[in-house]
Amino acid sequence: MTAATGRRLHPATIGGFVSLVVVTALALLPIAIIVFTAFKPVANSVLFAGGVTLFALVFDSLAAYALARIDFRGRRVLLVAIIATLMIPFQATLVPVYQLVSNLGWVNTFAGLIAPRAADAFGIFFLRQFFLAIPRELDSAARIDGAGEFRIYRSIVLPNAIPALMTLGVFIFVNNWNDLLWPLVFTTEQSMGTLTSGLTLLTGPGGIIPYGVMMAGSLVAVVPLVIGFLFVQRRFIESIATTGLK
Amino acid sequence: MTRKTSLAFAAAGLAALAVAGCSPTATPTATATDPSGSPNAETVELTFWHGYTEADGDVLNKIVADFNASQDAIQITTEVNPWAVIDDTFLPALAAGTGPSIVAMPAERLPVYANRGAFVALDDWYASPDSNAASLNPGAVQMVTVGGKKYGVPTGFVPLAMYYNKALFAAAGITAPPTTWDEWVSVAKKLTIDDNGDGTPEQYGVVLPDHATVANGLWPSLFYGNGGDIVADGTTAVIDSPANADTLRFWQDAIASDHISPTGVDGIGADGVFSSGKAAMTIGGPWMVFIAADNKIDYGIAPIPAGPVTQAASAIGVSMAITDQGDPVKVAAAKKFFSFFFNETNTVAWSLGSGWPPLRTDIAADAVAENPTVVALTAQASLGRPLLPGVVNSVDVLAAVDELTQRAMAGEDIAKLLQEAQSSIQAALDAK
Amino acid sequence: MTITAPRRRPYRAPAPLGGRARAPHRRRPGLKASVFLFPAIVILGAFVVWPMISALRLSFTDASGFGAVHWVGLENYVRVLSDPKIRESVVNTVIYTATFTPTAVLAALVLALLVNNPRMPFASFFRTALFVPFMVSLAVGAFAWSYLIDPQVGLLNYWLGAVGIHLGNVLEDPTLALPAVAMVAVWKSFGFYFVIFLAGLQDIPRSLYEAATVDGANWWNRFRFITVPMLSNTFAFVLVFAVIAALQAFDQIYVMTGGGPYGHTQTIVMEIYESGFRRLELGFASALSYVLLIATLLLSLIQFAFFSRRERDLS
Repeated sequence: MTAATGRRLHPATIGGFVSLVVVTALALLPIAIIVFTAFKPVANSVLFAGGVTLFALVFDSLAAYALARIDFRGRRVLLVAIIATLMIPFQATLVPVYQLVSNLGWVNTFAGLIAPRAADAFGIFFLRQFFLAIPRELDSAARIDGAGEFRIYRSIVLPNAIPALMTLGVFIFVNNWNDLLWPLVFTTEQSMGTLTSGLTLLTGPGGIIPYGVMMAGSLVAVVPLVIGFLFVQRRFIESIATTGLK
Repeated sequence: MTRKTSLAFAAAGLAALAVAGCSPTATPTATATDPSGSPNAETVELTFWHGYTEADGDVLNKIVADFNASQDAIQITTEVNPWAVIDDTFLPALAAGTGPSIVAMPAERLPVYANRGAFVALDDWYASPDSNAASLNPGAVQMVTVGGKKYGVPTGFVPLAMYYNKALFAAAGITAPPTTWDEWVSVAKKLTIDDNGDGTPEQYGVVLPDHATVANGLWPSLFYGNGGDIVADGTTAVIDSPANADTLRFWQDAIASDHISPTGVDGIGADGVFSSGKAAMTIGGPWMVFIAADNKIDYGIAPIPAGPVTQAASAIGVSMAITDQGDPVKVAAAKKFFSFFFNETNTVAWSLGSGWPPLRTDIAADAVAENPTVVALTAQASLGRPLLPGVVNSVDVLAAVDELTQRAMAGEDIAKLLQEAQSSIQAALDAK
Repeated sequence: MTITAPRRRPYRAPAPLGGRARAPHRRRPGLKASVFLFPAIVILGAFVVWPMISALRLSFTDASGFGAVHWVGLENYVRVLSDPKIRESVVNTVIYTATFTPTAVLAALVLALLVNNPRMPFASFFRTALFVPFMVSLAVGAFAWSYLIDPQVGLLNYWLGAVGIHLGNVLEDPTLALPAVAMVAVWKSFGFYFVIFLAGLQDIPRSLYEAATVDGANWWNRFRFITVPMLSNTFAFVLVFAVIAALQAFDQIYVMTGGGPYGHTQTIVMEIYESGFRRLELGFASALSYVLLIATLLLSLIQFAFFSRRERDLS
């Protein structure tokens, strides 16, 4: 197996790398457990929102690549069908989705929280727009070298679409981080509660909201997002600068 | 994308998959361990959803724990979420068959579910001698009765009461809370202070919300006071009546002419106005006690003043029911829990813990003497009337009442509004 | 300025919304496409399309999600088209969409143009600050706004009062409540459209602007002949999705007004929610959802067609 640059990886390096990963994981595991147990709702929020974002970016970009770069029969129809899935409000599909997730035995699991959102029509369409804007000349050079579709996807299209991927990633992460109803419906146990659902427990008797506490809690909920966005935003600018003027 | 980034992504993906695949172990609350130490194949396991998220919830969970400890055959696990959350998550759970065995909800929600067959009819349990149900408050039982059958048990039943700010009363030289509507308005006038004369008082005598009132009960209480009502026999709208017209006109005048109350306020907003000391009187539920204490208000509790015809107050209700998911063993077990819940010890403990009057009418007054709020509210318990008992489409009926009162207090023509409310409410009652 | 012109890559017009025609691949495109599409299709198929089909089936019944189910044919659809409350919610939704969409999209566009200016100081600060409202959870944001426009203690009322504008109780005012809720949604959502426009603007080669300046074009000409055509696909995209989002308005209304005052802010999705979850009429809620879906689809297809044709005319 050769890397893209042509260097050969010795088996010894691979073995060393794997060992390092395993040992580091073991070393950090107790720390992770401490953090996650102390801040379980935060951990749940991170796992849920992060999980959805990760899977959605991967699956959406794969689908968007196919819809943008591969000319196959029925592409237009599929595109319309995917868009149409956005047009039904989730209140109408919540009960059937829950029944499905329950039949799969995925209630109160992260699989049940993440899987239904692991691909979304908006993301597919959004990425398709950006992929279409990447010049095909870049592909043709690689195709002449004999690169297959997946190589083009991975090495040419994705790197050039980093601003779009980051934008979509932020959007998906924020929406799922702040989502209240979804985690509440799909998890009935307190141990699976996310940060936002935990905030609802602050509601006092008679529906009175203790404003000070609620605001403090909301601030805690938004700080990770702002930090995350600040970080992403810088990379956003860097990637604009490197992909540069086309 | 470089090889390193690909590997990082792959590792992250695998980690995510691993996490997604394993479900966290459940941490059940309020279950006592089986004393024999080995899993009992016969143990019936029930889940109980309720919305008591404050200290009262702890008392309820303790009662459940006591029940679990008292016998081996049934173990109940509680899940606590705010009432609004329960309302949203109960339906999907029912649809998938994963719902709780026992669920508590605000009393007006019960008929909607009962009408659709969600709950088990409990008439036989009520009739049985060892159920402890014989002396339950009849008004409370009316709230769980739909179409002549009883589909649940009351968990809470308390009439709305008047909470007043003793400090503001003393400052205005008023020594006793009003007992009639006329007294109420005149006391409110004395307590309404507009120092800078800009038309907006700094302090209101009373805060009367005109929509989304506490347990939707303020305006029904006022209607009852003048001999009017909203629905008769659960089937006929009677909102358009001279008595109700008089009631609306009385309060429209009182508020418009002397600004004794802010307008356009809803129930939760009204609680806020009272707790910030901007109003001297409010109508509310037992939690006003906690709110007043939190806001350092020296409060008093009094019955809602009597109207020209009678003194009555709409009641706030919470009920619980057994879901009908085709398992008679679980239903029988849940019934046993209800009997336990209504024995004398637990009825008293729950009353003291929730701050609401005991649900059994045969509890001696001194049994709850240690909580003066409970004592005060129990004394008023006879004034409490169930709100729209047995009405399935209470959502639309109450929306019509809200529209009526909000527009009336905004000054619109009362006769016309009552006619519109009458037809809306009748349509809502006829719908199912 | 350099003497030798820099090497330029051939300029390529941006992709139209419907996609560009291209020569067909020779080797089984369908199979290759399937591999790429597989995960997304599985997820969407199982968790979105299948429930949509269930909902369609439910729309012809009187189901409540549990218990007995009876077939009622088109009764739910007839009720959707004839119930005056539904009609009112449709009117409200249309007004809401007409208020929200232009405001949010134009605000986002103008702000993106401003921030994208290379000479704008503190650009990255503005970029983050303008995006923050989007990151706050809607319930909290809506609550903060309710506080701001509270007639008794609201800061906004106080300031406006100082210049002689008395708003009164905005959320209880039948005429003001709907625009107020729409504006809160604009505040919350424009940040995302803003970022998308920014990304689209970054795609426009700066060299085009430089060349135009050299040729003597002022900022208006540069905007009209470079920015507008090159941004039109992004603009169309944002517009389509802003309309879809507006037609499905629910969260901010649920939190701020609950549909009040007396139904003046009741939108279609609020009706769907209340029918399904409050009155347990899931069959009717599903029928209403499908009517909304068909209307939204038609509207979006019209927008698609309109913008695709414009693109063809321009290029």
